[in-house]
Amino acid sequence: MMLRVFFAMALIGAEPDVVRLTSDGHLKQRPCWSPDGKQVMFARHQGATIFLFLRDLKTGQEERLTSHTSAEFDAVFSPDGMSLLLSFDKTSPGQGDIEVHRLTLADRKLTPLAVTQGALSHEESPCWSPDGKRFAFTSTRHGNQELYVAEVMGGEWQRLTIDTAIDAHPSWSPDGKTIAFTTNRWGDLEIALINPDGSNLRRLTQSKGLDDYPAWSPDGRRIAFASNRDGNLEIYVQTLDGPAINVTRNEAIDNFPAWTSDGRIGFVSNRDGGFDVYSCRLTE
Amino acid sequence: MLSIGRMRTRECRGWTRRELLRAGILSAVGVNLADVLRLEAAEFQRKAPAKSVILLWLWGGPSHLDSFDMKPKAPIEYRGPYSPIASSVLGFDVCELLPQLARRANKYSVIRSLRGTSNDHGIAGTIGLTGSDVGAASLSGQVLSGAVKPTHGSIVSKVLGFSPGMPRFVAVGGHLHQGKRPITGEGGAALGPMHDPFRLDFHPERGIEIPHLKLLDGLTASGIDSRDRLLAEFDQLAQRVDRSAEMSRLDAFYQQAISLLTKAGSREVFDLGREPESAQRRFGRFRFGQCCLLARRLVEAGARFVQVNWSSHVEPVEDLGDGGWDMHDRFFQQYQDRHAWMLDQTLSALLDDLDERGLLAETAVVVVGEFGRTPKINNRAGRDHWEHCYSGLVAGGGLRAGQIVGASDRLGEYPTARPVTSADLFATVLGQMGIDTTTLTINGLLPQGNLIEELI
Repeated sequence: MMLRVFFAMALIGAEPDVVRLTSDGHLKQRPCWSPDGKQVMFARHQGATIFLFLRDLKTGQEERLTSHTSAEFDAVFSPDGMSLLLSFDKTSPGQGDIEVHRLTLADRKLTPLAVTQGALSHEESPCWSPDGKRFAFTSTRHGNQELYVAEVMGGEWQRLTIDTAIDAHPSWSPDGKTIAFTTNRWGDLEIALINPDGSNLRRLTQSKGLDDYPAWSPDGRRIAFASNRDGNLEIYVQTLDGPAINVTRNEAIDNFPAWTSDGRIGFVSNRDGGFDVYSCRLTE
Repeated sequence: MLSIGRMRTRECRGWTRRELLRAGILSAVGVNLADVLRLEAAEFQRKAPAKSVILLWLWGGPSHLDSFDMKPKAPIEYRGPYSPIASSVLGFDVCELLPQLARRANKYSVIRSLRGTSNDHGIAGTIGLTGSDVGAASLSGQVLSGAVKPTHGSIVSKVLGFSPGMPRFVAVGGHLHQGKRPITGEGGAALGPMHDPFRLDFHPERGIEIPHLKLLDGLTASGIDSRDRLLAEFDQLAQRVDRSAEMSRLDAFYQQAISLLTKAGSREVFDLGREPESAQRRFGRFRFGQCCLLARRLVEAGARFVQVNWSSHVEPVEDLGDGGWDMHDRFFQQYQDRHAWMLDQTLSALLDDLDERGLLAETAVVVVGEFGRTPKINNRAGRDHWEHCYSGLVAGGGLRAGQIVGASDRLGEYPTARPVTSADLFATVLGQMGIDTTTLTINGLLPQGNLIEELI
């Protein structure tokens, strides 16, 4: 019933309830809310730096969690909120050698999790399994950007995709049974689904234009993603068998969807000139 | 008076007997052929359609396959993940990441058959900015023989003559480099430092920066940290210069800088705060966007060649600005998330703004890098350097719009029609300013390149 109300509201063009959370205007990427909803993490481009910032949503205070000089991005909170997965892009001469690390918030300890030794490979876009024991990510270790899964505690990687297309941006479903990701294997960028063991690859979206950055809702019933299917980059939400609904409906660029713990959609937009983090209420 | 036709007929072989006779008569009364040619060149420039050039230099090398020369039918390991979309010009498709530029395709032309001779940023950069690889320095440190030639903006400065007010040639952005090695060919070379670019930059937080001021006592670029501070510094500088003999210690180039910055009418050009909020937002509140807004203000104020460097460093991650275009890794990620929409927004705004002000007709806009990128996607989801075929965009300045010049093969690897060089491109653009073979010759400059007739 709630879904029906939401879609009905979206379809009749109700004005989205949008809240602006940052105001500096610097380009930001891939916001991620803490499970308790009190903090948001995002990557900010500033000068020659791309650093992660953790923002307290109540006080507005921000802090960096590392002292690295390498570019850092793609941070995601663990299901228990105690740690993060993130990617580091080394500076020259190792530029392009990107690694996934785990950062425990209590002691700020960094542990490399997905690293390719002796080659300029990039491991990035990590996402947690709902039990916090595994993570999915992308890697170019084997010559093309593919989807992988690995144990947080270490061990061999499991390769999920083998295709000449580019596979990117995995998002693990809350029930643990499905990973959504982006691929251009059918032509342009679409959202696909695959089981965590690499089986049952299927297509979720089929639209003209790009669909990217899938994000599962906390209840596992909907997937948010960015799409330019209407000629402008917007945030869409759809169920696994329903139509995609444009929830941002703005002439600006709206990108990098993420769900907040209370069911709002977070995203980055330049609707106020610069690029800032916003959230949008979906249901009544 | 000699009749001057289109620039391409103004070579020696193009003079008629009657014109030579007239020249002979004039020489008999003390006016030699060089004088005549100078007069004619000045007249030709006066009548030329383009008064100014804005060069948007996409340092690092943008991908032609993901912008203006898409290959949707190529194998997946070539074509990339993006789809072409129809533009306002029938039969001309552009990348879906450039929707605003697609709607404005009737305002510009694209050359799909540019080709170079080097895949080294340093050498290709020198070729792109001077038309020649002479004196170029590679990443490994190899320096090609010969004296580096002046860059296009310096040629404009030389031909039009040094201006004590608004500089003829302004470069917005830092010195170009790959790694820690600067490239050659950014300045006046043998024309002398008078024809080097007057340099400006924009920092998203500090605003406009003027590197030349670092050389003046008591005034550093870092000290100018806000609009108010900048204006205050201008005022103090003006008072100080009026009272002292400091000016005499400075060479003409810096005198020009000071003259410019302390002259009430001139310095306003640097104050982006005079632009309405809507304009600042339209160009984009990031470095490249504001630099292009500044470029428009400079042209409006009389600058004749403004070069906007997208970045100083070729690398996308380590550059102080908006990140270079050299995306060997994560090409699609970076292009989609950052570079594509920046270019789409800012270039669209620049074309619209110039058009609305009536300046586009007399301002040639050139958008190009030093080369393209490999049609075949590498094993790091990136594209490497590719000099054999790439694209450039031109608009305004009397250049024909809505044209597609040349073509590449089915994979975008090599030109199949009308191959041209960057020397040809700038011969054409400067030609629109009336700087043709004759003008170059009488200014002691060696003409390079051939006109791209389809654009004229």
